[in-house]
Amino acid sequence: MRRPGHWSWVAAGWLLPAGAAQAHLVSSGLGPFYDGALHLLLSPGALLGLLALALLAGLRGPRAGRLAVIALPTAWLLGGLVGLGLAPVPDLTWLGVAAFLVLGLLLAADAKLPPIAIAALACAYGGLHGLLDGMALTAIGAGTSPLLGIVLAVLVIALLGAAAVVPLRVLWARIAVRVAGSWVAAVGLLMLGWLARGTG
Amino acid sequence: MTLAVRRLAALLLLLAGLWSGPGVAHESQPGLLEVRQLTTERWEIAWRAPIYYGQPHPARLALPPDWQPLGEPRVRRLASAELYRQILRVPPGSVDGSVIGFPGLEQTITDVFVRLHRLDGSEMSQVVRPTEPQVVLRGERPWTVSAREYLALGFHHILLGIDHLLFVLGLLVIVRGPRMLIETITAFTLAHSLTLGLATLGHASLPAPPLNAAIALSILFLGPEMVRVWRGETSFTIRHPWVVAFCFGLLHGFGFASGLSTVAMPRAEIPLALAMFNVGVELGQLAFVALILLAHRALRTLEFRWPRCAELGPAYAVGTLGAYWTLQRTAMLF
Repeated sequence: MRRPGHWSWVAAGWLLPAGAAQAHLVSSGLGPFYDGALHLLLSPGALLGLLALALLAGLRGPRAGRLAVIALPTAWLLGGLVGLGLAPVPDLTWLGVAAFLVLGLLLAADAKLPPIAIAALACAYGGLHGLLDGMALTAIGAGTSPLLGIVLAVLVIALLGAAAVVPLRVLWARIAVRVAGSWVAAVGLLMLGWLARGTG
Repeated sequence: MTLAVRRLAALLLLLAGLWSGPGVAHESQPGLLEVRQLTTERWEIAWRAPIYYGQPHPARLALPPDWQPLGEPRVRRLASAELYRQILRVPPGSVDGSVIGFPGLEQTITDVFVRLHRLDGSEMSQVVRPTEPQVVLRGERPWTVSAREYLALGFHHILLGIDHLLFVLGLLVIVRGPRMLIETITAFTLAHSLTLGLATLGHASLPAPPLNAAIALSILFLGPEMVRVWRGETSFTIRHPWVVAFCFGLLHGFGFASGLSTVAMPRAEIPLALAMFNVGVELGQLAFVALILLAHRALRTLEFRWPRCAELGPAYAVGTLGAYWTLQRTAMLF
């Protein structure tokens, strides 16, 4: 039996939030908690939007960063706990992709959103992905441990991402962050096109 | 540094409390499969499956179909493992390339050491991980492959050792300044490397139950010291944390040794296994320390302000978890 490569796990990462019952949680060999954390790191569909949101919050200053760091994991956890009790829904991959496309555009545009709006976005994004993760975990018979691993990874990424941008004062550095947002948006556009072609 | 680290520790401890089951700290005991050639066609296998959360291990042994059992297997239940022995008839020349599977291993956090001994004196050693629960028996393997396996084993072992990580986290809360941090982490590293080496080479050993209780006690010990730091008081531990790190590090080294079984390991491979396992442990520990320091810096950058009463949370959490594990593991001694 050939060992699945890293790209297979990345592909599985795209599939799992879609609620496909056939998908399996990536195995880290370290138990379900680490499996969950690794799943997020290998799921570009969730990771890119998370990064874009953390960077956007960082661009808007420490208060927005703090709110995002609190709101994202909290909403992800609550959404996940709700999702664990629900039956899987039809493929919602497009919704996750659309969400990170929007976040990428907001970051690229350096949208001057107030901190409370950043917090609302974080709640919506965290709640959506938490819900999708929870339903997908139920579909594969996993419990709450992977969800806790995912939430810890969300917390660390949001914290480090937002804090990396807050101190940036030089113009070119802030532009570089916005360029990263444009890449996220571009990936989102490509993914949406790919999904539309696949279902058309 | 200590204030923000305490706040970060509160978050991590909350998750640690949710994540850790009662015995999670030392459920990463490895399994062992010995395959020994007796005659040209007769081989003996000895499969030692560790007890897993108080139950027989869920992994089974799936031998190649052309390996024919001779007689009944012998099964013995030991305190920490189940031992299965069986004599087999194996077609001559068919061992190389044979695949032995461990169905069920993928649901666990257990690594399995596979050791093969032939009549001509040649030996082979491999590590099977839950991510790929099977082994292909081969002759010689490049040393770099073995080195990578032992490195990963050490890295994974520290990530699963939540009690070791909690101890390091407690030390990080107590230390003040980069110099004290480097001294303390270096002392802990030296101490646990020393006893890991002694235990692996068979020069020293400690029975697991009292060792685990003593490791839990080391965590409990740090709780009150963290409270003293919060109150602005001082103590010998706060002034010289490297001494405590060194002394308790000696105990933690024996704990690390539980993840590396050298039973029936080819003698020439033991130094490589020990060195790379230790490097893996150090890398995991450094990654953990780096993550904590990065997160601590991030909390400061984002200007997090917590209620003063919440600042004592980590100290009480470390003390409570340490006390719980100490009581639980002490009770297991009787």
